[in-house]
Amino acid sequence: MPKLVKTEAVVEGRTEVRWTLVEEDETPEWTEDAPPRVVGEPATRVTASARLTGAARYTSDIRLPGQLEAAVLRSPHAHARLVSIDLAAALAVPGVRAVIGPEDAPELDGEKLLTAEPPYAGAAVAALAADTHAAAEHGITALSAEWEPLGFVTDLDEAFARQDFYEEPSEDVRGDADAALRDADVTIEAEYLAPAQLHNCMETHCAVADVRADGVTLWVSTQAIYQARGDIASLLGIDEERVRVICEYMGGGFGSKFGAGHEGGLAAALSQRAGLPVRLVLSRRDENLTTGYRTPVRFTYKLGASRDGTLQAIEASGVMGMGTGGWAFPILEPAKSVYACPNVHLMTLPMKMNLGACVAFRAPGVMEGTWAFEQALDELAEALDIDPIELRRRNHSENDPHTGRPYTSKRLLECYDRVAELANWDARDELRSDGRIRRGMGVSSQYWWGGGGPPAYAEVRIGKSARPVVTVGVQDLGTGILTACAIVAAERLGVSPGDVIVRGGDTELAGHGPGSGGSMTLASIAPAVRSAGHRVRRQLLDLAADMFEISASDLELVDGEVRSADGTLRRPLTEVTGKLGNAWVTGAGSRAPNPEGMAVNTFGCQIAQVAIDTLTGLVTVEKIFAVHDVGRIVNPMGARSQVMGGILQGVGYAVSEERVVDPTTGTVLNPGLEDYKIPTIADLPEVVCEFVGRPDPHLAVGVKGLGEPPIIPTPGAIGNAIFHATGVRLREAPYTPGRVLEALG
Amino acid sequence: MLEVNGRPYRLDVADVEPLADVLRERLGLTGTKVACAEGTCGSCTVVVDGRPVLSCLTLAAACDGAEIRTVESDNELLGRLREAFTAQDGFQCGFCTPGQLMSALALLERISDPSREQIVEAMSGNLCRCGAYEGIGAAVAHAAKAGA
Repeated sequence: MPKLVKTEAVVEGRTEVRWTLVEEDETPEWTEDAPPRVVGEPATRVTASARLTGAARYTSDIRLPGQLEAAVLRSPHAHARLVSIDLAAALAVPGVRAVIGPEDAPELDGEKLLTAEPPYAGAAVAALAADTHAAAEHGITALSAEWEPLGFVTDLDEAFARQDFYEEPSEDVRGDADAALRDADVTIEAEYLAPAQLHNCMETHCAVADVRADGVTLWVSTQAIYQARGDIASLLGIDEERVRVICEYMGGGFGSKFGAGHEGGLAAALSQRAGLPVRLVLSRRDENLTTGYRTPVRFTYKLGASRDGTLQAIEASGVMGMGTGGWAFPILEPAKSVYACPNVHLMTLPMKMNLGACVAFRAPGVMEGTWAFEQALDELAEALDIDPIELRRRNHSENDPHTGRPYTSKRLLECYDRVAELANWDARDELRSDGRIRRGMGVSSQYWWGGGGPPAYAEVRIGKSARPVVTVGVQDLGTGILTACAIVAAERLGVSPGDVIVRGGDTELAGHGPGSGGSMTLASIAPAVRSAGHRVRRQLLDLAADMFEISASDLELVDGEVRSADGTLRRPLTEVTGKLGNAWVTGAGSRAPNPEGMAVNTFGCQIAQVAIDTLTGLVTVEKIFAVHDVGRIVNPMGARSQVMGGILQGVGYAVSEERVVDPTTGTVLNPGLEDYKIPTIADLPEVVCEFVGRPDPHLAVGVKGLGEPPIIPTPGAIGNAIFHATGVRLREAPYTPGRVLEALG
Repeated sequence: MLEVNGRPYRLDVADVEPLADVLRERLGLTGTKVACAEGTCGSCTVVVDGRPVLSCLTLAAACDGAEIRTVESDNELLGRLREAFTAQDGFQCGFCTPGQLMSALALLERISDPSREQIVEAMSGNLCRCGAYEGIGAAVAHAAKAGA
């Protein structure tokens, strides 16, 4: 019998209390003597064929009869008041079917989607839908909007000077940092300025809404189909069960696509008014003005340590530019939770600015916080004349240093040892030279959450052809989560992952899952899939036991066969499933809570090797050595790809990516991929990557998340490598040629 | 008159209609993806008369009589590339992948045994935000080798 259980889940550092329906799980854990087959072996993606033939249907590929195209009037000013707008003129444009102005703005999550006082350049003011894209654009022109520009603040330091907080500053305190700093043998002070990073998913935010009297279907590029369902139900004032959300394939999210989004809300509101389906696809420019960013932060640190390198005090503040919304990312979490330090005083100051709302971006807060803090730590190592890795080892914390909770598992020391060995760290000074090209190595630790948790449900079915069908209520951003689900189900049923059909990304399917974020998805859904697979396995073994007159406990499912333990019976599984006719053997599984009172975290360490051209200022990231402790690895192939992706986004952050805002107009100067530089294949470093790989003993399936961890240490390791190579500390990222040349003098 | 993936299409196109829109909206060939619509990302790459072109910036009217191939086409080399992209995990979200495949196809049809530098040069206009470049580069090299 399923039971309702109250549980705590940690999502990107925020603790949420949830009720969750949990089925009893009788699936035995794997033991060291009998490790799993299939799980842990490399598997290619189940989505490969669809994605490589053009068959995969993404949201912007949806074409419904009568479908209209939406366009949005956006503010050209960083802050303005709408003086006049001619909605009737837009509606009179041939082909325009529905127009919504700010007076009549639909609400999503308590926020109006259109405003007559746009607080940033790009803010939506009116929206319309027309037969064609061209007609929609004519409609926007016909609105003849007139504006009264107002004062604005887009500079972080100016926002701080005005003390214009988006939300109240928050503090974290343990011990007495002030006193400890006074008493410390060695102290350093450091300041770092982190840039705003833009997600630039290849697929821009988009939605197709079909609002009908008998229900609503929304196709939307989202990391959370269930959240999107709730958003649309509340926007339209209908029951969630009347809303179907589909996201079969999506072109990246990286944190920027949760729920229905403005695009889903506007498309639904327009479809309701027009009585026809509406598609809204953001342009690259609108994407970069309105869908969020990793916040710019001014970090300051004071660190104090004993002569032997023991950290005595960490005092830090982070002034972050939140713009007009979002949430205050845990930017000082690395200072708080990575190392043992008895005295800590941290202050986060979230500033309001005339820019769009910030939004989670792969390891929000923790990546930029790690970038800055791990460099400050290097400055301390320099002051103490202690090897940077040795300093980190000496301040290793056995338990969570802030809460005192024990970790479910922590193998960070192993990561240090292995990554130093892989990189030949001890010989790193041999890389240095006085020539035009300067080489060096730098290190950074990695800390993140990623333990997953309920609610997560899955269903596994098997029919006549013995091809298991797995349905999960999660969407695949491109991480390979569906492939991982296939692997986990395949293991229970003794088939290969390629035999498994996995369906997700549709709220009408069985199984409800979490949003894809916080490195939560696999750790949340894998135990549910395994449990569901196990229920099917037991039923199949019972059927086989009856058929072959052998006790079920003597039977195994291996390589598509039913086998007896003594080897006398070997029959194809289809011999059993073939008797089912068109019936299915079905099993449901759910995710139980994580153990109480324990901290679930992922750890790792990366070393970067860089080359700096002192003539041009160009920084080349030559090599990254990465060792991460994320529990059991389900698919080594997919895991390596996640690491590559994280590292490349970290390389972009460190050397080339930066949103540039024009101080005189408050508008973003580089909202296109011509001027906002993301890494290309030519920027690919050599990557040596390993995982500790041992299952977490306290988590079902032993799996922790891997989406966030690999991006976290990359930029800090690069910054530290530049210092090692040149002896110069760059305090502002990205490390563009201009900044490098200026720093080198 | 366009020839797309071996099939002739007789269409009236507006002077300003980009090839990408004609392929996606009129012919229903939605495999070709538009990610920037300003020629900066390579997602919409298709092969026109053997050359990789950005279909978002190419006017359909200028392709009169040309032979166009998209990700929905097939030949032995493209089959090899698909196998190699799968085996080398040369994609994650897959949105840039049709463009990556088309750039790779055009490269290998021109140079059957490209050097690492030639691969990087030919593929460097195709952005991939998921960061699948290692797999992409390896896939192109493997597909070339498998055809040798």
